[in-house]
Amino acid sequence: MAAPTSSAGRSWMQRSRILAIDWALIVIAWMMAEFLLLAFTGRRGPTGMLLTAEQILDLVHYWVAAAGGLVLAVAWTLLERVVGASPGRSLTGSVPADEKELPWTQTLRGWFAAVFIELTFFTGWLITELELVTFLTKFGKAADIVRGLAHPSASVLHEGLILLVQTIFLAFMATAFAIPIAFVLSFPSARNLTRGSAPARIGYLVSRTVMNFVRAVEPLVWALIFISWVGIGPFAGVLALWVHSVAALTKLYSEQIESIDPGPMDAITATGASTLQVLRYGVVPQVIPPFLSFTIYRWDINVRMSTIIGFVGGGGIGYILKPRVDLGEWGEVGTLVLLIAATVWVMDILSAKIRERIV
Amino acid sequence: MVYPGGVRALAGIDLEVRDGEFLAVLGLSGSGKSTLLRCINRLINPTEGRVFIFGREATALRGAELRALRRQVAMIFQQFNLVKRHTVLANVLSGALGRSALLPSLALSFPAEEQQRALGCLDRVGLGDRAASRADALSGGQQQRVAIARALMQEPQLILADEPVASLDPALRHSVMRHIEVLNRDEGLTVLCSLHDIDLVARYATRLVALRGGRLVWDGTPGEFDRSTFKEIYGEEAEPASSMGL
Repeated sequence: MAAPTSSAGRSWMQRSRILAIDWALIVIAWMMAEFLLLAFTGRRGPTGMLLTAEQILDLVHYWVAAAGGLVLAVAWTLLERVVGASPGRSLTGSVPADEKELPWTQTLRGWFAAVFIELTFFTGWLITELELVTFLTKFGKAADIVRGLAHPSASVLHEGLILLVQTIFLAFMATAFAIPIAFVLSFPSARNLTRGSAPARIGYLVSRTVMNFVRAVEPLVWALIFISWVGIGPFAGVLALWVHSVAALTKLYSEQIESIDPGPMDAITATGASTLQVLRYGVVPQVIPPFLSFTIYRWDINVRMSTIIGFVGGGGIGYILKPRVDLGEWGEVGTLVLLIAATVWVMDILSAKIRERIV
Repeated sequence: MVYPGGVRALAGIDLEVRDGEFLAVLGLSGSGKSTLLRCINRLINPTEGRVFIFGREATALRGAELRALRRQVAMIFQQFNLVKRHTVLANVLSGALGRSALLPSLALSFPAEEQQRALGCLDRVGLGDRAASRADALSGGQQQRVAIARALMQEPQLILADEPVASLDPALRHSVMRHIEVLNRDEGLTVLCSLHDIDLVARYATRLVALRGGRLVWDGTPGEFDRSTFKEIYGEEAEPASSMGL
């Protein structure tokens, strides 16, 4: 059975996908070009000031770009014979073999890509308001902070150490509670275990979707949710890091399951073992060492994250760091930052050592 | 048998294996030997066609019935496929999973008589003293003998061996093949064994079939096998590597 290679054989689905990609890319390039054009013609607002990037973004003709982009994308598809394959075909991996050989400078899509990258870079420079001169000349104010950080004050050392202990345990509890749930969820989230039946495939889809969603929500947002649920304090921090850790560990665990050697699974299946037995004998022994290693790494990450969680009231050392940052007590901030850095450094070394031993 | 992606691995196979035979399956890599063996215990589900074992249609079984059938059919793999981090004894015991109670088996716990039986199986492959070693501490030949002990533990009627000696040092091949031969000759187990090496086929098999491009191209005894049949199976370019008197 032959794969569809000829242009006539391309399916309707594939054609529309290619056109959609081309359209999107050309529209984005068009909008960036117009943005740069407006910016460099030096337009001034009613007050005589140069327009800011945000004001220019308001002036770009988005509908014109969308329509023009569609026309160009369709034109490119129709004129494919003359101008060569479009970027969409390149991204869907359907560029004809003879065109693949050409260096980028000899294809239109190569030039399109080059111009696209340039446009992105310059547009990005303006939109994020990069100002090299300011960066290089106005160090004065920041020097105060740096000086404070370099002269840590001992007055918060005691309180800082106590909250540091709280931070480490906070991260530990969040990790520990995440392990069993992530372990159970990682099996339905592994592609290689869920090909067999329709319910398994649905389980895969549901588990992956939910976990991706949970992971996409920042721990900071989870912290805000749990602070209003259980109140300010380390418990809210534990819950926030726990939810995020479940999602992160499920992903790491399931990817590990996907990369196991299927041989032992086959061998155990062939003995007439049931599904649970196959998982217990064919899968679990292979994934336990990497699971432990990921879990320790996760604890390490949770210690670092709990600082930020503390900023919004999730307990731990971040909780006393925030007011000192706000008040400009840079010496005390310096002490706390050093404590956090030392802990992260020790955790990093420890977790690397332990992981080395396990794997 | 067509794989996802459209590769047709087997087609038009009509093969009957008699009780007690040592059937060697010969053919180039990719000719469908593994697929054929794996269709028999349904590690792969054939897209078309039927497989009968002991008078039952294996291809129609599901769930518990399929597992009951698999208990009768032990499999030996080219890569041994032991659980590397388990002990040798635990690996042999896993051959008893099909008849074990679920919960104790999930805790890696087996009744005393199964443990005795497993030690007996290990003795028969000459590894009784290695029961407590971790499986990956053994050499390749020893690991394959553990795999044979695991197969024995299953107390099967049929053994499927997929290139059992292809990843072993040539000097160790006979030691492993002899254990399989004993099962066939002394225990009366039927053996289906895919092999590369014509010398081994001549030495151990009672019957020989050959696959080429997923089709059965030859069926006979090793004695009838000669240079022209060799070319038929392996193509005109091939030469027998050894001295089997072809």
